[in-house]
Amino acid sequence: MGITCEEVWRDISDYVDDELDPKQRIALEKHFAECRHCAAVLEGTCNVIRLYRDERALAPPKGFHDRLHQRLDQRLSQGAEQRIHPSRRAVLAWALTAAAAVPLGFALFSAKRIVLPRLGHQSPSGSPDSPAVTGLVAVSEDTDDKVFHIPSCPYLHGKPKFLPVAEAIREGYSPCPICIGKHKPEKKG
Amino acid sequence: MPVCATTSCGQNETRNDRIRANEEVLISRILEGEKDLFLELIRPYQRTVYATLISMLGSKEDAEDVTQDVLLRALARLHQFRRESAFGTWLIQIAINEARMRKRKLRHGIMFSLTNGADDDGAYVPKDFADWREIPSEALERSEIRKALAQALTLLEEHYRLAFILRDVNELSITETANILGITRGAVKTRLRRARLMLRDILSPGLQQGGQVGLAFKEVRKPWE
Repeated sequence: MGITCEEVWRDISDYVDDELDPKQRIALEKHFAECRHCAAVLEGTCNVIRLYRDERALAPPKGFHDRLHQRLDQRLSQGAEQRIHPSRRAVLAWALTAAAAVPLGFALFSAKRIVLPRLGHQSPSGSPDSPAVTGLVAVSEDTDDKVFHIPSCPYLHGKPKFLPVAEAIREGYSPCPICIGKHKPEKKG
Repeated sequence: MPVCATTSCGQNETRNDRIRANEEVLISRILEGEKDLFLELIRPYQRTVYATLISMLGSKEDAEDVTQDVLLRALARLHQFRRESAFGTWLIQIAINEARMRKRKLRHGIMFSLTNGADDDGAYVPKDFADWREIPSEALERSEIRKALAQALTLLEEHYRLAFILRDVNELSITETANILGITRGAVKTRLRRARLMLRDILSPGLQQGGQVGLAFKEVRKPWE
């Protein structure tokens, strides 16, 4: 006997699946011919596979196919209806979107009207010649800090005096680093 | 040639190629709008999907319910099927994922198991060396035998059970089984060896005694202790 029973049990499943090389296969076949126990293990293993592979093993219960087909038919007919008529949910979604768009558009339009002119006044850009520098800025008549602010700046102390930004720069005022510091004009030369 | 197969590898390949070509045509037509053909497409897989699910869920009712969910999901996602694998393999993958989700949801997927944890690569010693020569097709006429087969599966750890179901019930190749389970071919072979020999040990005493499987089950519940 070329190989032991333990070796046969280790390889028996691969033998069944034809996963052994020819040499191993011949060795096992020789063993099965001589060992009644291992031949019984092989026969039993094959029986297990044949039993479970049979359509009757683990078969669905009675009425399974009818119930399944009923549910699938139901789904298929629902799908066909959906192709012809948009569902109520889709219609509702479109209606809600349209309803939300109206006030949103109005709000954006109003915000543009309210905010943009104020920004134009409060945010003079770098060059005094820039068309954006058309609004008035405020300087303090009570302090000598030579700083100009936007009219609502909390760092503007004392009585304010309003003048165009170009004039303020000409008079030697610098922009307030808090409110319009970002727009400080570049020094020439 | 596989020892237990009813057809040779060559015959299987030719048959599989023919089936796959037919399925490709069916899938294209379904995607073009002929939805009614879906019933024809899934007909050969109803039993394999159900068998996979009953082996994972243990309850007939759950297995039937999830089978229906799986097939409906497959219909809804058919346009996502990439045709890299066979349609049946894709369907089984959906079934396994769906069963795992259902088990997590229901938290009742715990079954009595004869094995623990990961693959046991150690040598397995068969417990029964008696001859077992009953003709399988005759045995399956008896409902207690069918019940015993279903019950025997629940005694295996899930990873052994799944490898066995995919390879020996659904007749997938070792490579396809490995791909679905996300393990190596070697691991599939190890699990198959265990599952087959354990099922043989569980079932053979009853089948040798003329189908007194219920009694035999009690005797072999933990045969190696």
